[in-house]
Amino acid sequence: MAVNAPSRLAPTALAPTLSFGSGLLRGLALLATLICAAPALAVIGLALRPEANATTIGAALLRDGAIGTLALMLTGGGAAIAFGAVAAWLVSLCAFPGRGLFTWMLVLPMAAPSFVLAYAYSGMTWGGAAPVPVAGFWGAAFVYAIGLYPYVYLAARAAFMSQSACALEAARTLGAKAGDVFWRVGLPLARPGIAAGGALALMEIAADYGAAQHFGLTTLSTAIFRAWYAHASPHLALQISAALLIAALFFLTIERRARGRAAFAGGSTRWRSLPRYDLNPAARWAASLFCLALVALGALLPLGWLARLAVLHGNISDLARPFANSVLLAGAGALIALALASIVAAAARKGGALGQASLLAAGAGYAAPGAVIAMGALAVFGFAREAGFVGGLGAGLALTALLWTYAARFAAAGVQPIDAGLSRLSKGVDASARVLGASVWRRLLRIDLPIAAPSLVASALILFVEILKELPATLILRPFDFDTLAVQAYAYASDERLLEAAAPSLMIFVAGLAPILVLSSGIARARAGAR
Amino acid sequence: MSEVTLSHVARSYDGAPVLNEISLTAPDGQVLALLGPSGSGKSTILRLVAGLEPVDAGEIRFGAELVSAPGRTIAAEARRVGLVFQDYALFPHMHAAANVAFGLDALPRAERKEAALRWLDRVGLWHRAHAFPHELSGGEQQRVALARALAPKPRAVLLDEPFSGLDPVLRAELREVTLAALHEERATALFVTHDAEEALQVADRLAILKAGRVLQEAAPREAYDKPASLDAAAALGPINVFQGRVENGAVETPFGAVMAPGLAQGASAHAVVRAEALALRPGSRAKLLGLRPHGAHDLARIEAQGAVWHALIAPRSSLGETVDVEIQPAGAFSFPV
Repeated sequence: MAVNAPSRLAPTALAPTLSFGSGLLRGLALLATLICAAPALAVIGLALRPEANATTIGAALLRDGAIGTLALMLTGGGAAIAFGAVAAWLVSLCAFPGRGLFTWMLVLPMAAPSFVLAYAYSGMTWGGAAPVPVAGFWGAAFVYAIGLYPYVYLAARAAFMSQSACALEAARTLGAKAGDVFWRVGLPLARPGIAAGGALALMEIAADYGAAQHFGLTTLSTAIFRAWYAHASPHLALQISAALLIAALFFLTIERRARGRAAFAGGSTRWRSLPRYDLNPAARWAASLFCLALVALGALLPLGWLARLAVLHGNISDLARPFANSVLLAGAGALIALALASIVAAAARKGGALGQASLLAAGAGYAAPGAVIAMGALAVFGFAREAGFVGGLGAGLALTALLWTYAARFAAAGVQPIDAGLSRLSKGVDASARVLGASVWRRLLRIDLPIAAPSLVASALILFVEILKELPATLILRPFDFDTLAVQAYAYASDERLLEAAAPSLMIFVAGLAPILVLSSGIARARAGAR
Repeated sequence: MSEVTLSHVARSYDGAPVLNEISLTAPDGQVLALLGPSGSGKSTILRLVAGLEPVDAGEIRFGAELVSAPGRTIAAEARRVGLVFQDYALFPHMHAAANVAFGLDALPRAERKEAALRWLDRVGLWHRAHAFPHELSGGEQQRVALARALAPKPRAVLLDEPFSGLDPVLRAELREVTLAALHEERATALFVTHDAEEALQVADRLAILKAGRVLQEAAPREAYDKPASLDAAAALGPINVFQGRVENGAVETPFGAVMAPGLAQGASAHAVVRAEALALRPGSRAKLLGLRPHGAHDLARIEAQGAVWHALIAPRSSLGETVDVEIQPAGAFSFPV
């Protein structure tokens, strides 16, 4: 049945642009997959290598780290999930004073990495003493709870907003009160969203190094550093990294599955403004107070206190170099990560095994804590050195390893905004441009890029700030005497010089606010019926 | 414009066939309507003709030129076809005139602009030339999409459920505009729809599809009057079906006999009667269960010997509780089971 008449086809009219375009994309996707996956694979591979002088210290460190991380997840993570879910329910479906303001202010704590919050609270004194001591295990749990609830809040709010207004209205007409509807309709429908956000918060806790180290806790993240520096055992550090990586991938799987289900939980696609409950006066004020407490403890108070300390003790000349280094690293890292993210997003939209693989690799990189990826990058460079490809880890090579780590670690954070931009390109738009005679490059320049431009900018901004906030990988891989703001803050805090740590911490916090606000307004706009 | 021919075309996704042995012709300058439920493969046919996907088997020709065959696909951008989608697919960052001008880049800038404006004028949107897609109503967007598709003088125009997103009044109006423009341009068009009435109205030729196969290809009148199968008959309007045996060249139904030419005596057969081929008048043969307005007609539910049929009859008919039923031969068919 196959009818071939190749002689009648003008060779120039075949599909050269199409096959060239997708062949190039395939090659790039493969490269992106390797770049993202190599550090994680190296960690697992090396951890499995038998080690002659395995010690009981190693087993104890691994066990204590796992217990510490788990305990912080249960306490700090559990509280973050509860705070985020309740706050999302309140602003999405209840009417109370300040609701509109809280809707976006509740995401502000996301701007600060946990170590910045930890330094802010540790430095808080009144009349020479801390008003409420934030220290030790409970200090860390507190910092995680008030710093990470926005992950749950954002996911849960999106879930509440995408819920069919009809289902909630039906529940109301059946006589259910606000609380009833929350427990019986809202919460079950939003559970996948809450699970997804919760998994992200728990991943952050597992990955955190700065806050846990500051509070003197043994977690998997701090154990990696301890194994390496205190016990001088890179192999033990790699083994702990592997354990942490497996934990992170576990939570990543939960997040993906939950999000997948959330996509189907929408119900009606016809948006209407959601019915808002009028609370009784006492409940109304309680709701306002609850949201205010979260915003104040997570953002306003630490931000204000850091600003005060920075004004009193900041030394601008000390910060000039770290600031320049941070901007340089974050700028270069963001561009590389953006390119990687664009390739992954484009490959994923094209579908197929390679697209899925690149998405998975990028996701694994994002889930893996910075210290783990850095260990992996070091291991890969170790291989290269053994094989004689490179010499010692000089400044240039260290920077390369660091940029690679940033790219592998954060590419996934850029994929989603880019994908959102690309999703504005319906299949029809691309097909229309093609049948109107546009070549692959003309489509890229005239159609794809202009449409995706806002998402690319947003993506670059997010990546820039994520890298600016990064601490553990930078700590491991930075060239000698090459400090960033995060490293500087860490170094001061380690020396108990919390007053001096305030200025770099504040700069990180303020820079972190920018993408948070962009992200937040984007989510509000995403829902047509939202005011 | 040129004739578009598909011969023995097949296409599958991940091993699951979506098109099988498709042979169709859109005659030069005429509209071929592709009618079928979702999943019947009609949109896939458009994608193959547009060159957005390769064929797995068979071939597609524009006039004498082979454009698709296994392993050989002339790229969409080199085919010169126009595409109109249900969701308009306008370029969201370009105003209406720029959208229309996009396919005219072979022309000098001034001419390009003039041609785009002329096309917008033809679809009645000259005054909206600088409006962006999100500032246009659904109907306006679809007019821009039509102008954009026709402006580069394509060899064939492919319309994929172009009016599905619009309300009935706008739909009828836009159908007129579209048909007028297609005829004026003497455009060869493939028009995909799942709406039987729309298909009958727009088509010069009509192809009825189901599950990736062509059930019938014919002129619209012929498809309606001489359906090739039960499914083909059902595709063009409400029908009543009765399964019985052929006796003396006819199938006896509870409401009367349906001729069964060419079927063997005693063979099992489906008698199919279009709802509008039943005439009711006061009598006693069947019970009238209910009567409801149905557009220009009334829809009657009638019952005899336990069988319930639907009849589309003249509105405001005065009928008692029981009626006599006459089956009009022009709308009654028999098919072997």
